Amino acid sequence: MTETLTKGFTRAGVEALSRLKGEPAWMLEKRLAAWETYEQTPAPLGRRGDLGIMRRVAEYKLEKLVPFAANGASSNGHVALPAWESGLLVQHNSNVVASELDPLLSAQGVLLTDLDTAVREYPDLVQKYFMTGVTANTNKYTALHGAFWSGGLFLYVPKGVKVSRPVLARYLLDQPDATNFAHTLIIAEPDSQVIYIEETASSLPEGATALFNGVAEIFAKAGAHVQFNAVQDFGPGVYNVTTKHGVPEKDSYIHWIVADLGADTTLANLGTTMAGSGSNGDIVGVLFATGKQLIQINTLSEHAALSTSADTLFKGVVDDDARVDFEGLIKVAPGAQQTNSYLSDHTLLLSDQARAESIPSLEIAANDVKASHGATTGQIDAEQLFYLMCRGVPEEEARRLIVQGFFEPVLEKIPSDELRSRLRRSIVRKMTKGTQVVDETEWHDVTDQWDIEGAGAEAVQIAGGDE
Amino acid sequence: METQTPVQVAELVIRDLHANVEDKEILKGVNLTVRQGETHALMGPNGSGKSTLANVIMGHPKYEVTEGEILFKGVNVLDLSADKRARLGLFLAFQYPASIPGVSVANFLRRSLESVREGYDPNAPTAPTGKAEKRKSVNPAEFRKLLQTKMELLKVDRTFINRYINEGFSGGEKKRAEILQMAVLQPQMAVLDETDSGLDIDALKIVSEGVNALTGPNLGILIITHYPRILGYIKPDQVHVMYQGRIIKEGGPDLALELEQKGYEWLVGHLDGNQEATA
Repeated sequence: MTETLTKGFTRAGVEALSRLKGEPAWMLEKRLAAWETYEQTPAPLGRRGDLGIMRRVAEYKLEKLVPFAANGASSNGHVALPAWESGLLVQHNSNVVASELDPLLSAQGVLLTDLDTAVREYPDLVQKYFMTGVTANTNKYTALHGAFWSGGLFLYVPKGVKVSRPVLARYLLDQPDATNFAHTLIIAEPDSQVIYIEETASSLPEGATALFNGVAEIFAKAGAHVQFNAVQDFGPGVYNVTTKHGVPEKDSYIHWIVADLGADTTLANLGTTMAGSGSNGDIVGVLFATGKQLIQINTLSEHAALSTSADTLFKGVVDDDARVDFEGLIKVAPGAQQTNSYLSDHTLLLSDQARAESIPSLEIAANDVKASHGATTGQIDAEQLFYLMCRGVPEEEARRLIVQGFFEPVLEKIPSDELRSRLRRSIVRKMTKGTQVVDETEWHDVTDQWDIEGAGAEAVQIAGGDE
Repeated sequence: METQTPVQVAELVIRDLHANVEDKEILKGVNLTVRQGETHALMGPNGSGKSTLANVIMGHPKYEVTEGEILFKGVNVLDLSADKRARLGLFLAFQYPASIPGVSVANFLRRSLESVREGYDPNAPTAPTGKAEKRKSVNPAEFRKLLQTKMELLKVDRTFINRYINEGFSGGEKKRAEILQMAVLQPQMAVLDETDSGLDIDALKIVSEGVNALTGPNLGILIITHYPRILGYIKPDQVHVMYQGRIIKEGGPDLALELEQKGYEWLVGHLDGNQEATA
């Protein structure tokens, strides 16, 4: 596919895109219905007195964007699969350029393709689940996504199959005014297990902008375990609007680990509907905003069955003129007794201009519920700084240590060593304003420091305890 | 003996030091000299300015020095940030050490050791920045061995070093952690600010033995205490008594014993309300 649609979003554009892809009628209908919703839905503008991030997203000029821009190879491209991964999919702007799956998993019935292929080859599965976890009418951006989605990942794990190594998806943007409407659809059948890692990145010419509008839907059937990890590390110029939602059924869980580090402007909606009894949906989030970055995070833990649980923990660092707005909601449906739900958000401000808002809230309609929320916002403690400096650590480095320490408790919750190291490197790079990327010795040094922290137990072998 | 090769002895010299906190004068002309190899005790009732002096020696930004000087190895340290003072060889064991969540004792101490070993030379044409990329890293095996030795010395539990700095430490653990850091960093001049407070008798013994094991010709100690109790374990060469921001009495180890028997009232009773009192 080398075709490119005309700029801007129109009904004719929806039809042209569907024709270009040779889609069945049912998908065109879904797209057109989403387009209707898009046209009727105003852009969300946020609440009174917020930090203006949703308004900024709403003001983004969509008419200059190219709804579909194909790049290079088509979805038949093959890539080597790294040893620690069991599957890989790469999307470059609008289309998927590569996807690979461990043949042993294919033999067990695991499916990994781009979603366009899945529409043709697995229409029953796609029709059953597509945009039911995140419906087109969730907001204006999900409606636009429903009309213009392209590429993305379809991952199906059959009953009882345990995929031990992660499946990785890479979503890239590198053309001015390009769009990436990746749609991630993960279906984990009963008692299956899968770890998914999504990485987003970009390299745009200076001054150019592009849009990432991604939707992810996760369905975990009875007893299934899904771990969803997303590292958003877009470069400058990217508007990043995402909606991710998981639906765990009886005794299953969906665990989210999300890190938002890049992009000029981010609006991320992330939620779980605990639909089956005994299900769980924990969220761990890491935010780091610098320069003039804007990040708005909206989380939802929706408890809709008996004995469900969720724990949402976000840690954010805001520097320079950046702004972070966090809104978290715990919602407990009538009859969702024995719910356990927690929500906390902690922010460290590194500059006087940095701003952060945190609005956690509860809507509880059952009476046997344990739920709590908490939020803190503060600056680097002068006594901590003095203490570290009194031990010879220069101020700049002492600040970095305190920031690393602030993130450490959430990083420890990340089960994948690879992902944890990656995040640590990204955090160090942000803290040093990118100056350390070029310095090889510093890289080793920094990695080493973290390693000591993690590997301390065996790093210091001392026979016998005293107490 | 006068013709012997002169030995460089690090000296902490405090001259006519005045310092304010929030425009209130706390130190009102302190004079004190501690040489490497000596142990001095600074005693005095609560609120006399002892902890302020400790913090001013290390350069806490909360205090403003209005007059006087602090020289260490001949360098006026008042111009230096706290990290540079540490790299010059000064150490402060805090009365109330800050806890730093997410940073383990081992991790931090290794970075600290690297920094302190790099040192600070105010006369170097390009003074070291103390930044990690310019610093020689401490060999992990060597560091492990050093830590192990010092932890045994201070009877520190081995799980201790993997914990976050002072986070959830008991009072006694915090004080032991401070002395452990001193043992690892090997400063030339250490100020121990109320290291005995909050310790039970067993912990006091362990900490004192630890300090005694570190004393020697290379270490000068200024031990700040309210109670003479710790001086039963750590023998000072000289005792200074501070009151209302000045040193009002100096003497040998016997002074501590005398204070133990008579209390501070004996010294300060007649000074109350007399702002012109001098040493």
